[in-house]
Amino acid sequence: MKPAARMTREARDTLFLLAVIGWTLLPHAGHVPVWCSGLAAAILGWRAWLAVGNRPLPGRWVLVALLLAAGGLTFWSERTLLGKEAGVTLIVVLMTLKTLELRARRDALVVFFLGFFVVLTNFLYSQSLLVAASMLLSVWGLLAALVLAHMPVGRPPLAAAGTLAARAALLGAPVMVVLFLLFPRFGPLWGVPEDAAGRTGLSGTMRLGGVASVANDETIALRVRFDGAPPPPEAMYFRGPVLGRFDGVDWTRLPDVPAGARVQVLGTPRHYEMTLEPSRLAMLPLLELTPATAGPQLDGWSLRLRQDLQWQLDRPLSDRIRLQASAWTDYRHGPRRTTPELDDWRRLPPGYNPRTLAWAQALQARPELAGADARTLAAALLRHVADGGYGYTLEPGAYGRDAIDEFWLDRKLGFCEHFAAAFVVAMRAMGVPARIVTGYQGTDPAPVDGWWIVRQSNAHAWAEYWQPGVGWQRADPTAAVAPERVQRGRSLPPTPGLVAGTIGAVNPALAARLREAWETINNRWNQAVLNYSRQRQFDLLRALGVESPDWEDLARALIVLAALASATGAGWALWDRHRQDPWQRLQARVQRALAARGVEVGPQHAPRARAERVRAALGAAGEPLAVELEALDRLRYGEGLERPARRWWPGFAKALRQVGRP
Amino acid sequence: MIAAPRAAFERWLERRLPAADSWALTQRSVYILPTRAGLAFAATLLAMLLASVNYQLNLGYVLTFLLAGAGVVSMHQTHGTLRGLVLHLKPPRPGHAGEAATVEIVLTNPGRRTRHGIALRWRQRVGSGGFAWCDVAAGAQSTVQLAFVPPQRGWHALPTVVAETVFPLGLFRAWTVWRPASRVLAWPRPETPTPPLPAAAAKPGEPRAAATEQAGDEFDGVRHYRRGDSLRHIVWKKVAQTGELISRDARGEGRRELWLDWADTGGDVERRLARLAAWVLACERADRPWGLRLPGHELAPGRGDERRRAALDLLATWPG
Repeated sequence: MKPAARMTREARDTLFLLAVIGWTLLPHAGHVPVWCSGLAAAILGWRAWLAVGNRPLPGRWVLVALLLAAGGLTFWSERTLLGKEAGVTLIVVLMTLKTLELRARRDALVVFFLGFFVVLTNFLYSQSLLVAASMLLSVWGLLAALVLAHMPVGRPPLAAAGTLAARAALLGAPVMVVLFLLFPRFGPLWGVPEDAAGRTGLSGTMRLGGVASVANDETIALRVRFDGAPPPPEAMYFRGPVLGRFDGVDWTRLPDVPAGARVQVLGTPRHYEMTLEPSRLAMLPLLELTPATAGPQLDGWSLRLRQDLQWQLDRPLSDRIRLQASAWTDYRHGPRRTTPELDDWRRLPPGYNPRTLAWAQALQARPELAGADARTLAAALLRHVADGGYGYTLEPGAYGRDAIDEFWLDRKLGFCEHFAAAFVVAMRAMGVPARIVTGYQGTDPAPVDGWWIVRQSNAHAWAEYWQPGVGWQRADPTAAVAPERVQRGRSLPPTPGLVAGTIGAVNPALAARLREAWETINNRWNQAVLNYSRQRQFDLLRALGVESPDWEDLARALIVLAALASATGAGWALWDRHRQDPWQRLQARVQRALAARGVEVGPQHAPRARAERVRAALGAAGEPLAVELEALDRLRYGEGLERPARRWWPGFAKALRQVGRP
Repeated sequence: MIAAPRAAFERWLERRLPAADSWALTQRSVYILPTRAGLAFAATLLAMLLASVNYQLNLGYVLTFLLAGAGVVSMHQTHGTLRGLVLHLKPPRPGHAGEAATVEIVLTNPGRRTRHGIALRWRQRVGSGGFAWCDVAAGAQSTVQLAFVPPQRGWHALPTVVAETVFPLGLFRAWTVWRPASRVLAWPRPETPTPPLPAAAAKPGEPRAAATEQAGDEFDGVRHYRRGDSLRHIVWKKVAQTGELISRDARGEGRRELWLDWADTGGDVERRLARLAAWVLACERADRPWGLRLPGHELAPGRGDERRRAALDLLATWPG
């Protein structure tokens, strides 16, 4: 006998449910603490062992003890029981513990509903196509298990339950599509906690070492498409927060001076379209330089170009948005002459990095630089970076209190933010206004569907210094040490995964093509599903003929559709009420036909009984009718007629005509 | 205080139900409401929707709406599991009062899809009667048995039947209430232990005394084995029961008649009927001809299943 045949139905159903739960929890293995993954795996394994052996479930006290232990461990590892991380940890533990309590149907239902919620929590971490597909499988499995739980008779095959579950889901798909398209999208209802995004990216502050985690993050930050030729890779600077205040540890932004950005654009603009992933930052990393006159227009958002040329939003970007703007790669900005505000950009924290300050002053004191302007000093610094034995690495290790000293003079290993920070400190030490600009630089090598992809790993930090008579000038010290970082967009590809790495080693071209195909699919997915926002909803309504739609129009459209659906349902119900079994319909028809010829039969009479009545009432004249009726009787009860045979009625009608009406 | 209006409501509800042995489930007769699990599901969906809104998860919306769609569809599926089904009551076989009579209900599925997880039960919980579950395959029939314990003899209307289902997702419960028209006849509960049979009487025209002097403590028509009795006269059935050799009394057989007579019983009507019923059953077990005599009624001596049923039916419907 096969093991599957030996297993009781209950054991089989339980194992199936455990497998579905395991599959659902699997993506969380990377997010929850190690103890939690281990505990969940152990409990699921234990439960499976109990199910296979048909052993009794553990008592309530074991569960309470496990639950308390899990709560304690959660608090120990997360320092709280609230928030996303702790919540996910707890829900994983609860879900697995609940399987040890699967006694009554009510317990099973709790598992199902928890399961659906766990599926949702997976989306907090990733909404990629892969996660979506695997979670679709999970939902299917959970629904199938739910259906199975409501098939109490016999031993229904899993495939049958799966088919029924898929049927319910597929038939419900129109409801899903309509709700998805029209359900009004609101902003977050309450403050999204800091960790809500679950992603790394730019932030308003910088500390040496912070960008390292970004550099390895392959998630997409934005996509950009150009009308006409794209700018060269080395001009692909997307400007984010500008950091001017340095307290020795952190770089932060200076308050905005409401003087308006002094910008002068040169040359021709490039028109571009951009979709931005939610960054949870109140800013737009637009292409340098997008001036206020050619900036994007966004419904429902208030935009402002700060004086440091950073595009400021009135609230954090929590939605995927699409925008259009124009940029000039050639521009001038900032005051031409010294102003008091520039002093803010020269300030250095006292007592930090003394050796670098001394080094910079010694550089400035060199004879060939005597009385040099900012541009010459910057060039000298960049030359020093190029020749000074500096190395570019994403893993420079941790730096101590005087991080710039240590980097600039001792270890000389770092990446963009080290170079930018050291450059700015040295410039300021020489009395030149300077600042760090963070943002993204470069894109993936090739466009996907015409869209250039900018990833979190493209996050970059560069520097700007102020030159009298010109204004702010960009200087990218990273380019001096690792020019390919800027020219190609990415110098250091991230450590590839096992599969990608293997393919890449065997056939780099194939790997690139596969990656490209995957990016294409992923982009379609993002554009169609993940980018579907309030803006796109309004676009849809506009396409349907609603002028200047708002969320009330969405609600109205939903209500109208719901009313239509209800009316259809009611109509169908009305029609269905009069619908009869075909056999009964035929019986009634025969009854009416006979009544017209003076033979009264009841609805309960079988054709054979009717034949007898026909003979009794009509005698020999009714014989053909009686014969036909007896034939019907044989058809119905002899051959298992499911529907009244169309071929039967004509003969009967002929017999009726023979009899004629009285 | 609550019970009285509730009982009145129940009575009203049952009165307005037409009694029929066939019950076709249509839009009119199938009711549906969300179950507690359905309400919990709605709460789960709401929580998921809130999480999707707050964390701006488009996939969260997709998931929530997918489940909502499946829930709406499951409502139709639950209703459709019953709608169109035809319940038919097989003529119930009579049984003794206090004993479970099996009531057979045939479910006919004229549709093209198997109907799963249909539960039948009595509307009012009678005794330990629980659910009887069944699936009905497409275009096929299933039979479900419900146990009904008539409390006393006589005709009993069957309690109303509830057919219900929560298939497929358990979020909605669809049900119908059906009042079967057929009544079930309950024979009197036979007296236990079986009382000794009355003495057999001589056939009319023969001296009655001759019979009674023979009777003694023996059963009529049989006696202990005596040496010389033919082996053919030994009642092997009795031998197996008692372990003693019992012979058929050649004189008793054919010459004497056993009358189960109302006059030979005592006590109130029910006690008398119970005793008569027990006697009828005892005679049938012993395979002996018997006659039944009730005031104004007489069943001529004889034996067999049909006579037994006739007698028990008579006893069941005896006025009093």
